[in-house]
Amino acid sequence: MELNTDFMIQTFSLLAKGLPVTLGLTALSLFLSAGPAFWIALRRMQRKGAGARAAGLYVSFIRGTPMILQILLMYSLLPSALNIFVKSAGIPLNVFDQVNPFWYACVIFTLNTAALLSEVFRSAILSIPSGQMEAGLSVGLTRWQTYRKIILPQAMSVAVPSICNITVNLIKGTSLAFLMGVKDILAVAKIQASYGYNYIEAYLDVFLVYIILCTVIQLFFRYAEKMAGHYRTAQ
Amino acid sequence: MNVRPFSPDVIFSSIPVLLPFLLVTLEVGISSILLGSCLGFLLAWAKTAGRPWIRGAAEIYTYTIRCTPSIVLLFVVFYGIPRLWESWFGVDMNDWSRSVFVVITFTLLFGGYISEVFRAAWQAVGTEQTEAAVSVGLSERQAFFHIVLPQAAVVALPNFGNSVINLLKESALAYTIGLIDLIGKGNLMIAQNFGAYGIEIYIACLLIYWGMNIMIEKIFFSVETYLSKGNPAGRT
Repeated sequence: MELNTDFMIQTFSLLAKGLPVTLGLTALSLFLSAGPAFWIALRRMQRKGAGARAAGLYVSFIRGTPMILQILLMYSLLPSALNIFVKSAGIPLNVFDQVNPFWYACVIFTLNTAALLSEVFRSAILSIPSGQMEAGLSVGLTRWQTYRKIILPQAMSVAVPSICNITVNLIKGTSLAFLMGVKDILAVAKIQASYGYNYIEAYLDVFLVYIILCTVIQLFFRYAEKMAGHYRTAQ
Repeated sequence: MNVRPFSPDVIFSSIPVLLPFLLVTLEVGISSILLGSCLGFLLAWAKTAGRPWIRGAAEIYTYTIRCTPSIVLLFVVFYGIPRLWESWFGVDMNDWSRSVFVVITFTLLFGGYISEVFRAAWQAVGTEQTEAAVSVGLSERQAFFHIVLPQAAVVALPNFGNSVINLLKESALAYTIGLIDLIGKGNLMIAQNFGAYGIEIYIACLLIYWGMNIMIEKIFFSVETYLSKGNPAGRT
């Protein structure tokens, strides 16, 4: 088998065009899901009531179904829902032409990541002994202050390795966004490949890009773990 | 513009049509899990016992697999292996069943993921167990199969269950190379309706997957409680 190496080198540099989309989608989804994830984690820790049950159901649903199906469903649901909303609000916007699929992808990955991240937050918060909360309350801090100043900093350093896993999985998952017409790395490669039927070369390029990306992310998180855990060495 | 109302009854009427195609999904998934476990077992063995270069190769393999989106690997396998095969053996693979490529892809993936689970479980059983077994006259092989493996299996079970569920979720991608599995059939049904009822049919697929995964989770949990009954101190 002969690989077209010229094509591979040429495409490799072209893939840089898709890189901001992949990275942007990952970063934006992570950023947007952090708040909801924390809220879901708090609801689930209450254990009782409708809120806790709904949060549990949501997490179970997201974790129990393939991402690809969530994408297929939301991509047939979101544009029409948005269209109805825009029409009834009287905004002159043609949803099907003018909305970049990037935003649909962003909604889907945020919904997905929120559920996964909430599990990480929950187990991280639960790993902090309840004595910390009691100690905080006993010296006159409010519940929220104790959470913010005592519990969360400790919980975050516990959570960093799992957040790294979630980020790596998310960046891998964003490769599915090409099914919605988002121009990410995989989509760019596919378009390049289709000119001369060089699919295998293009996909090998994508493969390399992802290995590099994941390596960078893991190195970054190793550094972040050291930073988040610095209070431990101060003892 | 009129919008067709959402019709929940389509969800329930399409579930019986879709369910037989779950068998295709399960067939592909279970073959990948069985073959992938063999691969994972070999990799775990290579990482714990092998010579440095074998260990290095196994580590690099696992790292690469962990960094690869499954859809990219699926495409590389689907487009790459037929070409490789043709140039090496002159065999035309293009009319082979799509499920072959799906099974190859997910075997490679599952092997990489599960090798870490096996390795961790293996190392969780201390070496003193092997030493004790050998000291009472068992051979190394007997010690492994009768003493280490049963204990390691219990340790590995929760993570193994998680990996199985993850694999079944990832193998939903098989439809992208044209396998008619659950989602493939769902897409065909939508095409037959000229694009109508997409939302309802996808919801039906989601419900089937959800139910299946909850069931698998329950099964693994009960097997786990059953197997750890000899261990009252209780690994959870």
